[in-house]
Formats: sequence, structure tokens, C-alpha cells
Amino acid sequence: MSADDAGEATSGGDATASDVAESVDAPLLEMEDVHAYYGESHVLEGVSLRVDRGETVALIGRNGVGKTTTLRAALQLTPPREGAVRLRGEDVTGEPTHELAHRGVGWIPEDRRMFEELTVAENIGVAVKDANRVDEKLESALKTFPELREHRNRKAGDLSGGQQQMVAIARGLVGENDLLLVDEPSEGLAPQIVQTVADALERVSDEASLLLVEQNFPLAMDLADRFYLVDNGRVVESGSTEGVTADDERIRRYLA
Amino acid sequence: MTLEFALVVQAFVAAAVDAAGTVPVASVVGDFVEFLSPSNLAGVLVDGLAKAAVFALIAVGLTLIFGLMGVLNFAHGSFTIVGAYVAGLAMVLVASSGDGIVTRIALFFVAVVVAFAAVAALGGAIETKLIRPLYDRPPLYQILLTFGLTLVIDEVVRMVVDFYGLQPRSAWQEALGTRPDWFRENHEFLGLTFEGMDLFEIFLGVVVIGAVWLFLTRTRYGLFIRAGSEDAEMAEALGVDVRRVFTVVFGIGAGLTGVAGALLMWDPGWGASVTVGAEALLPAFVVVIVGGLGTFKGTVVAALVVGLADATMTWWFQNVLVTMSWLPEVVVFAILVGVLIVKPRGLYGVQEVGGH
Amino acid sequence: MPDDDDAKPTESGSSSEAVATDGGETPPAERAPSTTSHGLLGGTLANLLGGDSAFARYARSSTAHAVVLAVLAVYPFVHAFFTNPATFNVVPVLSGAPEYWAETFVAVLPRVETMVAIFYFGLFAASFDFISGYTGYLSFGHAAFYGVGAYGVILVANGKIPLLGSQTPFMVTILVMAIAAAVLAVLLGLVSFRLSGVYFAMITLGFSQILYVLFASWDFVGENPRDGVAVLSHPEGFEIGVPFVDALNLQIGQLQGDSVLYGLDMAKLGFDFLGFIDVTVDLGGTEVSYYMVGLVAVLGYAAMQRIIHSPFGRVMIAIRENEERARAIGYDVYKVKLAAFAMSAFFGAIAGGLFAGFRRSVSPENSLYFLVAGDALLAAVIGGFGTLAGPIFGRLFHISIEEFLSKSGSGGGLLPWLERTLGEGTMTTETVGGVTVGEGVDTFLNGHAELYVGLVFVLFVLYVPNGLLGTIRVRMGGTVAGQTAARIKRWANGAAPTGSKSTGSADAEGDDD
Repeated sequence: MSADDAGEATSGGDATASDVAESVDAPLLEMEDVHAYYGESHVLEGVSLRVDRGETVALIGRNGVGKTTTLRAALQLTPPREGAVRLRGEDVTGEPTHELAHRGVGWIPEDRRMFEELTVAENIGVAVKDANRVDEKLESALKTFPELREHRNRKAGDLSGGQQQMVAIARGLVGENDLLLVDEPSEGLAPQIVQTVADALERVSDEASLLLVEQNFPLAMDLADRFYLVDNGRVVESGSTEGVTADDERIRRYLA
Repeated sequence: MTLEFALVVQAFVAAAVDAAGTVPVASVVGDFVEFLSPSNLAGVLVDGLAKAAVFALIAVGLTLIFGLMGVLNFAHGSFTIVGAYVAGLAMVLVASSGDGIVTRIALFFVAVVVAFAAVAALGGAIETKLIRPLYDRPPLYQILLTFGLTLVIDEVVRMVVDFYGLQPRSAWQEALGTRPDWFRENHEFLGLTFEGMDLFEIFLGVVVIGAVWLFLTRTRYGLFIRAGSEDAEMAEALGVDVRRVFTVVFGIGAGLTGVAGALLMWDPGWGASVTVGAEALLPAFVVVIVGGLGTFKGTVVAALVVGLADATMTWWFQNVLVTMSWLPEVVVFAILVGVLIVKPRGLYGVQEVGGH
Repeated sequence: MPDDDDAKPTESGSSSEAVATDGGETPPAERAPSTTSHGLLGGTLANLLGGDSAFARYARSSTAHAVVLAVLAVYPFVHAFFTNPATFNVVPVLSGAPEYWAETFVAVLPRVETMVAIFYFGLFAASFDFISGYTGYLSFGHAAFYGVGAYGVILVANGKIPLLGSQTPFMVTILVMAIAAAVLAVLLGLVSFRLSGVYFAMITLGFSQILYVLFASWDFVGENPRDGVAVLSHPEGFEIGVPFVDALNLQIGQLQGDSVLYGLDMAKLGFDFLGFIDVTVDLGGTEVSYYMVGLVAVLGYAAMQRIIHSPFGRVMIAIRENEERARAIGYDVYKVKLAAFAMSAFFGAIAGGLFAGFRRSVSPENSLYFLVAGDALLAAVIGGFGTLAGPIFGRLFHISIEEFLSKSGSGGGLLPWLERTLGEGTMTTETVGGVTVGEGVDTFLNGHAELYVGLVFVLFVLYVPNGLLGTIRVRMGGTVAGQTAARIKRWANGAAPTGSKSTGSADAEGDDD
């Protein structure tokens, strides 16, 4: 894992292009019967899902049913003990997380996980994978999120929650990712900020597929094309978000 | 006003000293005035900065390693010894009596590079082979492992040194002898007298610490290290190979203390010997804890605090309170205890440090 | 020795599950012990041990401890027996001269004097484990308490301590110093227990180093404090026993120890028909020291073991496992930690006092230096962290290696043995670079025990993280005492593979010893 990891030298674009060429029909992300544990507690009991190119998929369900763990398992941060995670058809189960990052999987985690002592520019810089294009990528991110420009040299820990969320999304954006795993982006934000974040995600979804965990049900239905409903570590419902409301019987049963 | 103040001070000191019943009042005030004289103050300052430079060189590696991976490296003192002997060996082999001071110093920098490389390689190997399997265990095991490594490394060094007929308990005189005469002598600048070695220690300390600071703040790898120290998992998810960063940082941290070892090899107050490991490790521990484990800035500041306090106390107890000449050693640990009582996480410590 | 089920709650939790499932069938605990399968003597024993009476329980659960104590009790005789060439004129040996075999045992068996050191330092290592292994707070400055005990004894003997004259009985001195160490621990703990993890380890280290520097430089201690201080005005050995009752005291010390001569000649007593009984027990100063120091160490260990098994001990373990939860349940964890620290300091000081009493001198390096606590840590990890008895075995292991590899002339060891085994010729054979085998051994093995101990230690940390005793416990599925009790019960009841009930109850018995 060390020798072949070309680190920042790898040009992410090339790898992605060849992968796509090889497996055109395979879904971008596919999880099959994934089981994951924290210590002894069995959190995921066979999750299966897929995310295709260009689509936004929402993971919904109550707190503690395994939505965050599903994202962590996809990224191999909580490596599955059983089951498989495939990226463009290729099995990546057990690969180191930074390898997945170099294959175009980004993570916008719960609580935003800022490097608080680092500046905004540095936070975004860490996420740029091509060392030669750091400035260029930073510039484009600041164009996408103009409100960050004046704060670029401030410590990320000093920003407001909404601004931090922007930085987190920008980190996902500059990584040239095809797939972003987004965890609770609206959590803890004021309502007017939530709309800004939603707009940002909308913009991002033009460039990458999203797998989105979101407690705000209308927001999730609004952003996503399809949804998976998770309960007790399993997917119990799925389908198009078209016309689905929280009053829907099969949804309400699990969310109430 | 000034007089009044002086009287109050004098009365206060008098009361304190009377209670102690050892030193006459007039003499203490006189001593204090003497301490404040430019030559003494400058001497103490330079002595303190030289000590601070050595402490910082050893402690910075410790704090980088702890900050990133949460490992308190007990083997750090042993790395210092290895650096001292490697650099000493390089000097003894290469230096000849006819060298001028410039050649000697140039050779010394070669020796520093050799010591850095050798100890960094040793550190990197130890991290990959021995410490890596323990990251999943409680932090205690990493402390235990590095503690065991000190036993092994120290004893191997002792064995090798013994084998070549050197005395492992006292400074390696031959290596010390490669020091240019200029370092041995006192030099006058602006009417003040300084010892050459002190000035060289300060110079090397500033250069190396400055280089580390530039590396951390101006390079991409330094950015990865700082990001990984704050949140290793997030850095990994953004594409940083954190495991490899661990190895690099352990190597660099070890290498830096190897450089400190090279410096100690030339300092007659220390010298290359096996016992120097524990002697150097303890103040370095104090420095990293006082500064706040894992903070670069804190470590440098704490090195200055400890170095200057040590030098001040040394002056006082060598010139005035000779009957208590042991106090400077206590002061270092008293600072540790005092700071931890007032600021349990050290001067610049944050609530949570260390990797995952 | 080996004790508690709760030393490693996680392990014992899972292991008791394992035990519960491995039998399945419950043997009738009330069933009369079968005499037929054991023969007459065995049957009687089985009757004694098999039941559920208090005596039977106690006897069962004490077996493991009793075996260890019995081995320790006869060790000086065993050592004398096997290191005497005359023995091998009687005992048949495969080949070789009797001297050869005697010397082999000299090389391998720890000397009795060494065992004394293992007793007092083992007690210190156990006291270190008491706080560090059970509450999870690494007391890296534990040498402070050892030093208080050691310096206390010497300073009192030299008449330096007010109110305690140089003739103060040793037992009183040691008790006073233990209490002083406990008070010191409370004072240090008040500050230190506001911290945790590395910071706790470091602040205790800081305190102990302050004491170290103080005692290494303070001329009150003695004329040359850096080199340490010896007993000056107390020529006779220190006495262990009941204070103020002469008959119930024996002196300890490398040279000053009492010797005991006890003869039992039945013929002289007029019992002619028992004339074949003519025994003389002759114990020198070292042997007396062995028993007396050993006695105090065993009592100290037993006391700590009782505390660990008390409800108080369970809180200590709860703190190690999850301090927040322990606090949430309603324990005053701060006070418990302080009390545990004080107790651990108490026993640590007793160990230091025994050390100084036996050696009659102390130096800053061998009592207060932080590496003394490091040696305790070494012993604890090799023996088993959080097992209390383990550190004592860890120390035995450490010192045995050290003695085996000591420089020739200081206590047998490898070199003389090799010389005898391989012959002078082999030893002077030159190898690489003109170094003879003998010189090679002397350079790379002898006097470098720390290297090999360090290697063993590193291997233990990597591959045997539970230590010697901890690993045995995992293998046996519980504490040695508890599992031994369970096995005896099974044997006595003639039951084949055990069932959950008997094991369970025997496990609980394990608590009792």
C-alpha cells in the first residue's frame, strides 16, 4: 500500500477515465450484503445498495439504524467483515481508505470534521489530490463558494457552522470525486443556512453522484432521485423519491 | 518612589532571608544587583538559550510523534545516544588535526546529516515493524514497547562501545576532541563574554527548528502532517496515506534527536555516553508536557522557559546560594509540576491530541 | 497467589461463558464423593475436599497459593541440595562429574540471596501493579514511595529523624514510613488525579524526580548524598518480628542476619526407637533473611490481594474499565483513586524498607530514580499487568536472566558453566577477528542482561500482552486459584468433564483465597 500509492502525483482524471472505459455498465458504487461491527456490536446486518453515475441517492431512517456506518463501510473506515463494496464494478473491500479517495470517493462527514487549527485554504488544500493544481483548485472552489473568499486565511475552527459546512463541501469538490458520501449536511444549521447548503449540494450534484444521509426528510426527497430506507442495519424500503411524502405508510412506519 | 520600592523589596527579602537565617540581607540585594548587570544577564541569557536549543531539538521530535500518532516515545533518549555516537564516529574518522575551524564545522554538518539519516532510518524501521502492529491497542502498549526498546538500544550501544574499548559511562573524549578550539574559548562581543559552544548551539538550534517550522508550514507534506495530527481519519479520507505519514514523522522525529545527539557529542557538559540518554530524555519530557503534548509552538516556548529558568537558577546557585547547588535540577521538575497544576494540558495544550 | 476473577473482567466474562458451555451437564454437587476411584488415601482427601463445607471450599481455593508457598518454603533447602556436589554422589545422574551437575544448578537456580531481593522488589512491583494495573493510572513515579521506605529506614537507624531514635524497632520504622508514604501519596494524588493518561504518568514522574534530586544532593541525608548512605549507628541487623519482644524477632541482613540452629536428635531425647531421626536445621543469615523478608512480602501481597477482591477493589477495576460509568453509578472515583494510591504507596514503602533493611544502605539510583519504577513496570508487564501476583514472577524472571548473564565472579552464571561444559580449549578458540569464544561470551552476553530482558519485554508487549500469569489465566479460563479449586472439586467428586455449576461455584470460591 505504500509503494504503489503515488500520493498526490497520481492524476485522478486518467485513472477515472480508464476505469469508466473498462466497466461502462457497472454501477459507480455497489454494496452487497455488507455486515459491519463496532467492537462486538453488529451494526450493519447485510446492507445492499447501489449508486449510479449522475444520480443522487438518499439514505433515510431513524437515528442509530446504521446510516453513518453504511457510509463508513463504503469508505472502508469501518471495514466490512462480510459482504463486498464495489467501485465501478471493482471490489475495493479492505482497500485502504486513501486509495478509495484517489479513486474518486469523497466524504463530507457528520459534524464537518474541520482541521480547526488549519486555515480555510489549507483545509481545502489537503483535499486537492494533484499537487500541481492546488492553487487552481482552490481558486475554483472559492468561485463556487464566494462567501469563503474573505475567510480563506482564517482558522477553520473560528468559522460559523454554515461556513464550515461550505468548507467541507468544497473539500469534497476539489478532490475531483465522482462520488460524494454526504452525512447530515443540514444538521445543527439555522434554517436559512440550510437552504444555502442545499443549493451548494445541488450545484455539486452536477459534477458528482451523491449518497446522502439526511434527517430533514423534505430536503432529502428534494435533493435525491432515489432513496433507501434503513432500519436495524438493513435496507427495508427503496424506490424513486417521485411523489414520496413522509405520510406515506411504508415510510411513516420506520420514521415515526 | 524608586527608593520606596527598593525599601519594600529590601524589607520583604530581609524577612524572607531572616526566616531562612542563612544569608545576610545586604548580600542578597547586592547579589541581585550583580545578577542584573549586563555581563551576567547576557551570560545567563546565552547559557539559557543554548540549553533551550538542545532541549528543543530533542523535544520537537517527541512532540511531532505524539501529536500525530499519540505515541509517547520513550526510546527518544536512546535515539539521541545513537545520534551522538554516529556523529562522533564520523568526526573521529574524518577530522584531522590540521583542519581549520571552517573545515571542522563543515565536517560537523556532514556528521549531522549522517546522524540524522542513520537515526531517521532506525526510527522509520522501528515504526513500521514494531509500533504499527500496536496502533489498535490501548496507548499504554506503545509506551511499553518504546520503553522496552530503550533497554535494547542502550545495551546494544553499550556493548559496541565496550567492544571498542570505550567507557560507556563517561563522555567520549576522542569525539569531544574534534571540536574546534574556538568553541572551547570565550569570546568577547560588545564588551560581553560568551562561550563559543553556547553560540554554536543557539545557531544550530535556530537553524534546525526554523527548518522544521518551514517544513511544517510551507510544504505539502507538512500540511499533511498538521492535518493528520488534528484528525488522522479525516486526512485519510481526503486521500492522505496517513500510515506512511506516521512512518515519515517517526523517522524525522527520531532524526532530529539524532542531530541533538551530534550537538551533545561536542558539548563537554554532556558528551557521547550511554547515560546521556536518560539525562536528555527527562528534560525533553518536561518540555513537551509543559508546552502541551503535540503542539510545536508550545514545545519551542517551553524549551525557552525551561532553558532560561535552568540557566538563571544555575547562576544563582553557583554564585550566591552555593550551599544549595542542587536546586537547578529540581527547578526543571518543579516547572513541570507547577504548570500541570495550573494548566493540566500544558501551556498550549488542547483538549484532545493524537491520532486514531 | 493467583487470585481474582475480576482482574480482567472482559476476559473472565467471556471465559466463564466458555466454561459454562463446555460442560453442559450439571454434576450433582451434593453427591457423596466417590471413594472407589481414588484409593484409600485419595478417597479420604477427596472426602475432605469435595464437599461444600467452608473448610472444603477454603482448602480448594487456597491450593494454588499453598503450592507456591510450599515451594518457596523449601527453596533454600532445594537450592543447597542441588548445588552441593555430594548430592550427585547419591542421586543418579546420566553422566559427568558431580561437580559438573552442581555447577549447572549453581548457574541456573537463583541464589537464596537473590530470592530475598525478588521478595522485596516483587512486593514493590505488585504495589505498582495495584495502582497501575487495576485502576489504569500509570504511576510512573512510584519509585518515590520505595525511596521513602528505603531512606526512612536508613535515616532512622542513623538517628536523623526526630522522635524516632536509632534503636526504634525495625517493624515500627517500616510501619511509620509506610504511613508517611501513604500520606505523601494522598498529597501528590490530590494534584495528580486531576490529570489522566500520559499526563498523570508524567506528573508523578516529575514528583519522584524532585525527590530523587533532593535526596541526591541534600547533605542532611549523609556526607556524600549522591553516592547514597549506609547504616552508621545500628551495627546489629534489623529485626523482623513482633516489636519489643526479643524472642519473637530475627535479624535480617546480608552479613548481620541471625542464624538459627535447630537440632532434633531423638536418641538424645531418650526415644531410642526413633533414633534414626537426627536432623539439624542450620539456617545462616541469608536464609533467615529469606524467610523473614519473604514473610513480610507474602503478608503484604495477601493484604493487597484481599483489597482487590473486596468491593473497594471492584470499584478500582470499574475505574479502569470505564471511569465515566463508575462515576455515573455513583462512586466517588476521585476518593477511590486517592485511597488506592495511598494503599499502593503504603506497600511500596514497605518494600523499600525491606530493601534497605536487608542491604543496609541506599542510594538515589537504586531507590528513587525513575528507572526503579521502570523495573517495576518491566516486572509487571512480563508477569502480567493487572494480575498482582504476576509482577512477582516477572521480577523472578528478570533477575534470573540477569544473574545467569552476570559478569563472572558475581554469582555463578553462564561463563563458568560454559567453561566447564565446553572445556578450556573451546573457550579460547578464536572466532571472527581474533576474538575467542570466551571473550565473545564475555562481551556480548555477560553483563548485558538488560539487552535480553529488553528483547523479552518487547516480545511480550508484541505477542504476549497479557504477560505470564495473564496468559495462563486466559488458558485456564479464569484465575489460577479459582480454576485450580474447580479442578480439585471435579477430581474429588469423581466427575468427568465438569459442568457449569461446579465450575461456577468454584470460581466464586476463587474469590476467597
